[in-house]
Amino acid sequence: MQSFSDTIESLKIALQAIKANKARGLLTTLGIIIGIVAVVTTMTAANGLENSFKESISVLGSDVLYVSRTPWVHSGRWFEFRNRQNLTLKEADKLKIQLKKAVAVNPLTETRRSIKYRSRVIDDVSIVGTTDKHIVVSSGVPDYGRFLNHYDVEYKHFVCVIGSEVKKRLFETVDPINKKMKVGRYDFRVVGVMEQQGGAGMFGGPNFDMQIYIPITSFMKAFGGRDRDFDFVVKAPSTEALPDFEYELVGEMRKIRKLKPTDKDDFSINQMSTLVAAYNNVMGVVVMIGLLITGVSLFVGGIGVMNIMFVSVTERTREIGIRKAIGAKRRTILTQFLFESSVICLLGGLAGVILSFGVTALINSTVMPASISIPIVIVALAISVLVGVFSGIIPAYRASRLNPIEALRYE
Amino acid sequence: MAFEIDNIFKTYQMGGVEVPALRGVSLKVDKNEYIAIMGPSGSGKSTLMNIIGCLDIPTSGHYFLEGEDVSTLKDDQLAVIRNKRIGFVFQTFNLIPRSNIFHNVELPLIYSGLPASRRRKLAEEAIEKVGLSDRIKHKPNELSGGQRQRVAIARALVNNPSIILADEPTGNLDSATGEEIMGIFDQLHKAGNTIILVTHEHDIAEHAHRVVKLKDGLVESDEIVRNGRYAEALQDA
Ligand SMILES: Nc1ncnc2c1ncn2[C@@H]1O[C@H](COP(=O)(O)OP(=O)(O)OP(=O)(O)O)[C@@H](O)[C@H]1O
Ligand SMILES: [Mg+2]
Repeated sequence: MQSFSDTIESLKIALQAIKANKARGLLTTLGIIIGIVAVVTTMTAANGLENSFKESISVLGSDVLYVSRTPWVHSGRWFEFRNRQNLTLKEADKLKIQLKKAVAVNPLTETRRSIKYRSRVIDDVSIVGTTDKHIVVSSGVPDYGRFLNHYDVEYKHFVCVIGSEVKKRLFETVDPINKKMKVGRYDFRVVGVMEQQGGAGMFGGPNFDMQIYIPITSFMKAFGGRDRDFDFVVKAPSTEALPDFEYELVGEMRKIRKLKPTDKDDFSINQMSTLVAAYNNVMGVVVMIGLLITGVSLFVGGIGVMNIMFVSVTERTREIGIRKAIGAKRRTILTQFLFESSVICLLGGLAGVILSFGVTALINSTVMPASISIPIVIVALAISVLVGVFSGIIPAYRASRLNPIEALRYE
Repeated sequence: MAFEIDNIFKTYQMGGVEVPALRGVSLKVDKNEYIAIMGPSGSGKSTLMNIIGCLDIPTSGHYFLEGEDVSTLKDDQLAVIRNKRIGFVFQTFNLIPRSNIFHNVELPLIYSGLPASRRRKLAEEAIEKVGLSDRIKHKPNELSGGQRQRVAIARALVNNPSIILADEPTGNLDSATGEEIMGIFDQLHKAGNTIILVTHEHDIAEHAHRVVKLKDGLVESDEIVRNGRYAEALQDA
């Protein structure tokens, strides 16, 4: 068994050796640094994505089903759906009556238009035609002002409720309530501002804070409704009832569409879990790429460190001989060099972690909210030490087996 | 009895050729003997010293260190013996250049697992014995050759070994400095240590009370030196 003082000695020697060869150590750790930056950034990005995703998905609600013409997630099978009929407002009304269990049925449609307030213009903003039921089926609520009410829908009022980011970018410090703004060519009066919901549309999904809600009736008057396709947002009595509820929903929709029992559905039911699956795919790819980069750079870095360790062992052959001659055991020599390679890699890992904080700050200010967590740092440092041990083991083993007489004779 | 070697052979392999370095050497050494090993270059002196010092093992034959057969021990077991029971002094000092004097002398104690306070005491005592207490923080390259060899001696005796071995300890020193170093060995001998040294010089060998001469890997002569400076010491023994 190796004594404590012996281990401390090994550590001291290792630190001394590293101090004596700073430049060399720095160069060899480059691969480790890149690898650690890659792994930390990957994990942080994955975390960030997951958070934003969960946030945006929670807005959709877990007890809500979407009836749409096509599925949200389909891998290039669009031709299967191209002959499907658009969903109409009439069908929405029928569904409302027939599906008694539904807490709410809310038809939705969307278009993109420029918006304008005074001289400020924002292009290509998502304009959503909806009803007063919108706040029943989604978790968004007005921050101030009010949401659309059923009079707005019934009497086709040209009023709108704007997302928090629209407010910020179009109105800045002005109070938008009762101000007239242009949506496309039409004047709409702002009646409310939605609470911030987060979840920047990472996967091409909607950024709710950049949307504008108007009554679906005014929508059709302004932007046309004849060939428009609608989504029906249908709220189930509870999340637990969702499977049975979906079954009934499909049944009612088939009745409305007058499908024969042998016909396939000519509409699609979407829900949050469909998105989750898609998200997991994207996530898998992101993580795979990150881990690939990590693996390659750590491997290359590890080879570099191994190389340096061979050099270090050769340079110190005589010293190894001296130490063995006065009683150092194999294990003592082994530990000494393992410490050296581990500390080199740990320093590389630390540098990598510090760099990662910079990279994360960059991501944070550009792409999405992200922050490095303590467990990620610990994992990263553990990985770098592990690489150190692996890349040091062969040189260290070789050093530990040196014959003391030959080592002492080495010039 | 300090140790006994019995019919030891050592053969080196050099590119398929066998080089016999020792060809049946036997030697009995009592406690507190002071022996000089002499002989022409290549006669096997260093080979013999390395085997006695457990740095190497014989090809055949037996080596009993204080009664225990150590000729068949494994690497790590030999390391323990070198650490606790052998003090080796080399011609080229073999100090660790980056470490200061204190640390160099302390090192064997670290490898034997002594606590720091005990190490400090023993190392300081050993350094005191070789008269370098004022240089304790210096690095080896800040010392003269004679001083470096004193450090090496302090390191050799810090673990209170059974035998102190010195392979041409004065070989790299001028004769005055060599004499100083021999003075230290004389004192260690007086204090009861068993000392074996290799030398080419008769002046140095004269310090010993027994001279073993090697030739071609064999003991050529082994005699008590009655006319040496230490004849009286010998008579006491
Ligand atoms: N590692 C080795 N490999 C091959 N041959 C060796 C090795 N070490 C020693 N020898 C040979 O063994 C013989 C004895 O060598 P040794 O070093 O013991 O001699 P020595 O008496 O110490 O000589 P010197 O006075 O020059 O130091 C020599 O012929 C030498 O060449
Ligand atoms: Mg020799």
